[in-house]
Order: sequence, then C-alpha cells, then structure tokens
Amino acid sequence: MNNRLETFVKENRKSFDVLEPSAGLWAKIEQELDSKKKKKPVNLYLWISAAASIVIVLGLTWLYVGSMRNRDIEIADVNAAIAKKEIHFAGLITEKRDSLAIFASANPDLYKKFTSDLKKLDEDYERLKAELPTTPNQLYVVKAMVKNRELQLQLLKQQLMIINQVDDYKRVNQI
Amino acid sequence: MQGSRAAQFELYKLYAKAMYNVALRILNYEEEAEDVLQEAFLDAFTRIVDFRQETTFGLWLKQIVINKSINYLRKRKFEFVGTDEIAEIPDEAIADDYDIQLQADEIRKAITELPDGYRVVLSLYLLEGYDHEEISHILKISENTSRTQYMRAKKKLKSILESKGMRDE
Repeated sequence: MNNRLETFVKENRKSFDVLEPSAGLWAKIEQELDSKKKKKPVNLYLWISAAASIVIVLGLTWLYVGSMRNRDIEIADVNAAIAKKEIHFAGLITEKRDSLAIFASANPDLYKKFTSDLKKLDEDYERLKAELPTTPNQLYVVKAMVKNRELQLQLLKQQLMIINQVDDYKRVNQI
Repeated sequence: MQGSRAAQFELYKLYAKAMYNVALRILNYEEEAEDVLQEAFLDAFTRIVDFRQETTFGLWLKQIVINKSINYLRKRKFEFVGTDEIAEIPDEAIADDYDIQLQADEIRKAITELPDGYRVVLSLYLLEGYDHEEISHILKISENTSRTQYMRAKKKLKSILESKGMRDE
C-alpha cells in the first residue's frame, strides 16, 4: 500500500503535463536562431575580407618596393664622380633657370621659346634616366645624362646672355 | 549542420509541452519556466552536433531543461538541505493509504504548494522517473538526503491533499 501514490502517478502520467507554454514562444526561439545563423556568415565574410585585404596590401607593398628598387638606380650607383658632376650641373641649371625667369615678364615671347628648347633637352634627360635601369651599358647612359645637363647649362648661359642684351637694348631705346 | 527550420519546429511541437511542465514543476514560476524552455531549445538546436545517439533526443533535452531549471532555482539562493518544514507533520501520516480519491489535478496543484526542496525532489523522482542516485547527482546532494527529502515531501503532499479533501467535502 506504500506506493499508491507512485502507482497512481505512473498510470496517470500524462494528466500531469497539462500546462502549455505561451503561443509566442516558438517565434522567440526562431528569432534567436535566425540571429545566431546570420552572425556566422557575417563573421566568416569578415575574416575572408580581412585576409584578402592583408594579401592585397602585402602584394602592393611588394610591387611598390620592387618598382622602387628598379627606379632607384641613380647615377651615383653607376659612377660616383659623374654623379657629383651631375649634381653640380643640376644646381647651376636651377640657378640659371631662376635668373631666366626674372626676365620672363619683360620678354614673354622670347622666354616661351627658350623654355621650349630647354624642355626638349629635359625630355631627353628623362628618357635617358628611364633607360638607365635596363640598359646594358649604364656608364654610357650616365655619361650621356651628364652631357645633357652640360648642354642644358650652356644653352641657359647663352639664353641668359641673349635675354640680357635684348633687355639692355629695350631699355636704351626707351630712354 | 543545424538542421532545417521545419525539423526544428517539429521537435519543438513534440517536446515543448512536456518540457515546459518539467521546468514549471521545478521552478513553480511560469515566466522562468518559459525562459528555461527557450534557452534549452536554443541550446539543443545549436549543440545538436554534440548529441550522440546514446540516448533519445527527448531525454537529452530533458536533461538540459532540468539542469537549467536547477540553475535558475539556485540563483534564488535556494538550498536543497532545508529540513525545518516537516516538524508539524504527525507520524501517523507516513502510511500511503489515502482516504480520499486521488486525482491528478489535485495532486498537481498540491505539488506546487510544496516547499522548493520537497517539490524538486518529489518531481524528479515521482514524475521525471529519476532514481535517488541520479537525483543526488543532479542536485549535488547525498543519496540519503534525496531519500529523506522524498519521504518528507510525500508526507507533506499527503497532508496538503487531505486538508483540501476536507475543505472540499
């Protein structure tokens, strides 16, 4: 008789599970499941894009460094003495160009002509510089570059002389 | 790996009601029982990969529900070893012969009136079908405590039922 309660419960087990959870509970669970599912692909996507950007950045740096190395061949790498000469010329060229620019406003037509002549020489120089990394005879190219600078300098000297004379002439005529 | 939503809903329909009643018997609060149910299903669906078929899905889910319910109960600073409430129960009530007709609904309601410790042990033993060894693992109490708690719970339940029966007649 001691287990009447146990027997009764066993026989009527179903009658004890009578209460129902609220109807909206599944919707809540579904919502949570959705938010969990959505999070995962986003994370995966994030990781992939992060990895991709690292690869891209590394690739770009590699390319940049590589191209810099190619471009970085200067005259000094080929011949230090020539480089010194080139630097000396380049300094003088800037100086003369500045002097020439002073006369520009007084003689615009002449100045325009002069600068276009200089521009041609300058273009030659840039072409030589671009050739330098790939050329089989670098010393030759470097020498040509310095020669170009020398020509530029001489041209500038003559231009300055002319422009000076023209300027003097103009002033004299004005008086 | 998580299975289709339709399959999840089928599982929910199949087990929600039974699991809700399991949680409710332990917690005695509808809101907490629903929270437990929601967490348990979410856990079960996301950890379904871990589910090895040594047991049925229902039993596995029930374990999750019970563990979560017990955790909720513990958060209320509840201790399973309280022994004070039985003092007023007379010894002659130990026998299990009820004078009144047993009714499932009456018993169910009477269980909700039991103190937490009694209610949990009695529910686990009488309704969820765990033996005292299993209960001692679940509640982290000794097997002996489980046994005495159950006996006292039964006594108390009987006295509740009898006092009700008297009131009804």
